[in-house]
Amino acid sequence: MAAGKRHVLLKKPCFPPFNSRNLQLSSFPGKNLKQGRKPAALLQHQRTFIQMRTVLKVVDNSGAKKVMCIQPLKGKKGARLGDTIIASVKEAAPNGKVKKGAVVRGVVVRAAMQRGRCDGSEVKFDDNAVVIIDKQGQPVGSRVFGPVPHELRKKKHVKILALAEHIA
Amino acid sequence: MRLEKCWFCSSTVYPGHGIQFVRNDAKIFRFCRSKCHKNFKMKRNPRKVKWTKAYRRLHGKDMTQDTTFEFERKRNRPERYDRNLAENTLKAIKKIDKVRSDRAASHIEKRLKVRKGKERREAQKELEQSIHLVKAPQALREDQSLTLPKIKVQVSQPKSEQNQAMEE
Repeated sequence: MAAGKRHVLLKKPCFPPFNSRNLQLSSFPGKNLKQGRKPAALLQHQRTFIQMRTVLKVVDNSGAKKVMCIQPLKGKKGARLGDTIIASVKEAAPNGKVKKGAVVRGVVVRAAMQRGRCDGSEVKFDDNAVVIIDKQGQPVGSRVFGPVPHELRKKKHVKILALAEHIA
Repeated sequence: MRLEKCWFCSSTVYPGHGIQFVRNDAKIFRFCRSKCHKNFKMKRNPRKVKWTKAYRRLHGKDMTQDTTFEFERKRNRPERYDRNLAENTLKAIKKIDKVRSDRAASHIEKRLKVRKGKERREAQKELEQSIHLVKAPQALREDQSLTLPKIKVQVSQPKSEQNQAMEE
């Protein structure tokens, strides 16, 4: 945000891409979207927890690309921003530390569901992303991409914050 | 604690209000209420939405350049607490606020005053051109002063035999 003054918009407003990903998160009845036409229900996306079968993006360089949650640790309904999950690697880069089919743990660093902050405001991100960690809580990769919330500090994931390129 | 500006409507977001959306390119959008948030999700451009400050400033409806805006810059350095400084700042805020709102009000008044003069001139012209709709041209020729006929009509209905019969 430019220094608190007027909000400078580019000529073509680059709003976040609004495609049909993460539909399993919402209670949205899976209509097939034609090109450019969005049913009204899509605009009322109710973002929910990260639960079993949720596919998340991996934002470190551990080798995995997509990971499917098989169990949220803590949380009856599911994991939120900052929680750890147990996941199965669904898609991986050919030469990486983590291979496809492996069962790993991860920390949710971005969640489309809003999370309340202690000052009363709420934060939400654009997608669901996870950083793969080991049993001790140390990240497996050496880089983290994209913004991460500072909720991680409270959860003692200091290393991830150190690797992050932007802390939201 | 920091008072932010809503990205969409430019009103202040007080602590405990609103939602903060972090996009994957680490750009943070703050919204004061769900109205602004929903408009953003609809990909509306605030510069085209009439009730936002962005529109009003762009179309010259509201004051854009004023020295009082200089006081409200974003400061990233926290100030050491000093009681006198705090007291003076609070007094100054009140005064600056008053000055700014007075100036803004006068800006709007000036803008609207132009219309009044225009309306008067239009009314005058209409009177001169279309007086024949109101008064017969013969009468006008006879007496030039009869431009604004102010004829008092007594509205009293004496109850005659015929009226009584009609009422029944």
